[in-house]
Order: sequence, then C-alpha cells, then structure tokens
Amino acid sequence: MLLDIVQNTLDGLAIGSAYGLLAIGFTLIFGVMRRLNIAFGPSIMVGIFAGAWLHSQWSAGMIPVFLATLAGAVLASAYVERISFAAIRGDAALASMASSFAIWMQLEEAVVHVFPGRTYAFPTLQTIPMLEIGPVFLRPEYLAMFLTAAALILLLQWILTRTRFGLEVRTLADNPEAARVSGVNVAQVAFLTFLLAAVIGGVAGFLIAATDGQITPKIGLWATMKGLIAMVIGGLGSLRGALIGGLVLGVVEAQAQWFLGAAGREIVTYTLLFLALVMLPSGLAGRADAGARTEALRRL
Amino acid sequence: MLTLENLSKHFGGVRAVDDVSLTISEGEIFGLIGPNGSGKSTIINLITGLYVPTAGKVTLDGWDLTAMAQHERTSVGVARTFQNIRLFGNLSVAQNLWVAQNGHEQRRAHFLSRWFKAGGEHAPDVEELLRFSQLHSKRDVQASALSFGEMRRLEMARALASNPRVLLLDEPAAGASLEDGQLLAERIRAVRDRGVTVLLIEHMMELVMGITDRIAVLNFGRKIAEGSPTEVQANEDVRAAYLGSSHKKEKLIHA
Repeated sequence: MLLDIVQNTLDGLAIGSAYGLLAIGFTLIFGVMRRLNIAFGPSIMVGIFAGAWLHSQWSAGMIPVFLATLAGAVLASAYVERISFAAIRGDAALASMASSFAIWMQLEEAVVHVFPGRTYAFPTLQTIPMLEIGPVFLRPEYLAMFLTAAALILLLQWILTRTRFGLEVRTLADNPEAARVSGVNVAQVAFLTFLLAAVIGGVAGFLIAATDGQITPKIGLWATMKGLIAMVIGGLGSLRGALIGGLVLGVVEAQAQWFLGAAGREIVTYTLLFLALVMLPSGLAGRADAGARTEALRRL
Repeated sequence: MLTLENLSKHFGGVRAVDDVSLTISEGEIFGLIGPNGSGKSTIINLITGLYVPTAGKVTLDGWDLTAMAQHERTSVGVARTFQNIRLFGNLSVAQNLWVAQNGHEQRRAHFLSRWFKAGGEHAPDVEELLRFSQLHSKRDVQASALSFGEMRRLEMARALASNPRVLLLDEPAAGASLEDGQLLAERIRAVRDRGVTVLLIEHMMELVMGITDRIAVLNFGRKIAEGSPTEVQANEDVRAAYLGSSHKKEKLIHA
C-alpha cells in the first residue's frame, strides 16, 4: 500500500511536470494578453501529428520527430495568434476566446481530414530498460519527462528574470499601460510570447505522446483540459502556481487511477478542480497573487 | 518642438478637449493647469496615444505623433509619468529602468541581441539614472517595496530611461508635502538641464508658478489663457475659472 503510494507519486510527478508545462503555456499567454487561448491544446496536437507523420513517412528518429512537433505547434500557434488575438484587439477578451474555440474546431477537423484513422503511432523511449531504485521502478520515459520539464522550466526562469524579452513579458503582465508608454512593443512581445508558449507546450506534447506511444486528434482537447485545470488549481496568472498545480494534478490522478480506476480518476480530477475553485479561489500559489488574479479575472 | 494643432477629443457629447493649440519650445518647462476635469490629463493621453483625437494633431519636431503607435512615440522621444504611479512592481528598480530603455538607439539593435540580451540592468546609462534619482542603494530592491517618494523618483527615472526629448509629468506632486514639492522642483529643473523639455500638469500652484517658463490654462476643455506665470496670475478669466467670478479680485496664490 505505502509502496504503491510512493510508486504512484513518482509516476504522478513525471506526468505532472508535463501538465505543469501545459499550464505554464496557458499562463504565459493569459498573463500577456489577459485572454484565454483555448486553442492552445489543439495547436500542440497539430505539432504532435506533424511529428507522427514524419515518423511514419521516413521512420525518422526521436530528434527530427521532436523538432517537427515543436515546429508544428509553433506554426499552429502563430496562426491562432494572428487570427484570434492580433486581429481582435482591445478589450474584446470574450471574442478572442470564442474565436480560439472556432480555431480549435478548425484545427481538429483539419487534422482528422488528413489523418482519418482513430489512432496513430508515436515513437517512444521505451527501448531504455526500466530503472530500479530499491523497491520502486522508474520508467525511463518518465525520468526523461521529468528532467526535460525541469530543464525547460529553469531555462524559462532565466529568460523571464534575466533577459530583456522576459522583462518585457513581465511588464505586460504587470502593467500594460505603463509598458506601452515605456516603449514596449505590445504586439511584438505578445506574438513572441505565443511562440514561446507553443515551444513549451510542444515539448510537453512530445513528452506525453512519446510516453503513450499512440495519439488521437482528441489529444488537443485533453491538453487544453489538463493545462486549464492545472492552471486553475495553481492559481490563475502565477507561473509557479501553474507548475505546482500541474504536479498536484499529476500525483492526484496517478493515485486515483491506481486505487479507483480510469473512471474514478476523472471523478477525482474534477472534484479537485471544484474544491480548488471553492476552497482556494486564489490557487495554491497563495495570497500574494490574489490581487493579480482578481485583476486578471476582471479583465477576462 | 511639441505642437498641438487644433486638438479636440470628444467623449460622446462631452468636449473633454476642445480645439486646443499649443506650442512648447525646446528646453522649456511648460505648465498646464486648470480646474479638475478641464482636460489636462486627456491632453497627455492624446500626446502619448492612449486616446485617438477627434480632430487635430500633435507633432514633435514635425513628426506627426498622432499617426504613430504608442511605443513608436516613445522611441521618437515622448515619455510620461502617471498621476497614480504605475511601476513594474515585480521587477527590481534597475530592471524597471533597463526595460524602459526604448529610445531610438535601442530600437535599432539586432533582433536577437535586443531580445535575449541579459544583464542590461548594469549598463552605464542605467547606473547614471540610478544615481541621478538617488536610488542607487535600492537598485536590486523590488519596485513594489519602495517608499512612496522613491516610487515617484523611480517613475520619473523610468520615463527618462528612453532618452526622451519631452517629458510629460502628470501631477508629480500629488500626495507630496510642500517640502517634497521643493525637492521635486529641483529635480524637474535638473531634468530640464539634461536637455529634456518638460510639460508639467500640476495642482500645487507654488510648484507651477515657481518653476515654469510659460503656462497654459484650460477650463472646460478650452484654452483660456497662456503666458508667463505672472501674466497668467493676473488674468481675469483664470481667476474666474479657479475662484468663481465673485472672487475676481483675490490673488490666485500668495506667492
């Protein structure tokens, strides 16, 4: 029993780190645009299918598949940004969200049109043997997932706190009006933030697809749901909260899956979301961000 | 250098700014005063591009600002502070200055070197501004942790970071005592001595009358007077606007 819990926690942290990446992508876009891009998951799905296509056509190795996944996610995200966000300016936050829903359907239908089958294969890392640490097992693809996510988060941390681009992103999340009069090119920073979020989401999508080994076009819906839930659990608008929310969601899901089965897992996930909204309205990241969240919600 | 030509801004039926023309010369400290709601802040927002004018235009050395995006106005030399301070609270003091360096020179930097440059908060011009605003000891402090006076100084320094040709100060003495006002006057003169033209919106009459070269007075969106501080104080219309017509004979301030 205890061993099961430890094992589930390890697995959950790995999946949770990928959820955290998805939530961070949502949060970056939300912070800069003050609008929700629900086509984020489907953009990643486009990337994943680009990778799968490359794999099936030329049995490409992991690195080309990884790059194709990122490229697909970035291109699809750039498309979403141009159509649903850059073209709809000002305070029309709901118009952007509704239009990103339309783009979601469009991307999903386009992929289904090109890939009419139900599932497709995605290359996996399972050729590496299972690691044994005492009584617990560490799946290599989980270890790779966790380490890649950690490295990416450290890189993101550096970008956001040290580079000029990162600071400009934060000025927009912090005080858009002051950012504009300080000469920050809002349109350009917003576009680049979208692309950065797409890279992060693309990495998460690749890690998840490479773990499962098979993909369906529903992975877009799945990525949007997981990312949004993790973001809300962690606290809307906080990057640290997004990461924590992702890890918590991953661990809770892994435990529920083990003890209650797949249906039980879904029930637990949405109960967790409900409890987070009712009991911790400012999220796990806590009180400090409460003001920012109220502000963010007001703009939403 | 900064010219407003027949500038108007109507909000529905309200003429917030009504056919105002002004010319501010290089190196001047120009005061813009008027009762509450007379259109002063609207004029600043028209110059910086938050509002689009209903009619008329704003030019800086012949550049038509009204045709530019907000960030482009910054790069040709317009900077401002806000009546209610707006800093980047999560960034350090030095980072607030670095991120605002968006003048002409910075804009021309190569894409990658501009965006993914790190450590620019140690650049010489940031250091210079930190010393100028007496914030050097606070350089790595989060801006939200500063005292009120320090925040005001940082906001002015941030405006200067883009190397502006004209600085718009929106009630910089709001919330300040009279002594703070005197320090502020010295700082505004120091800004002018750096070669920056200043447009000052202010309620503290001692400050405005003491440091401006010329003043324009607004009432109900229209310019009712323009001239030196002495001329403006002697103007009957100005007294009427400030004190009501029955008080025309009282002095505007006891300077």
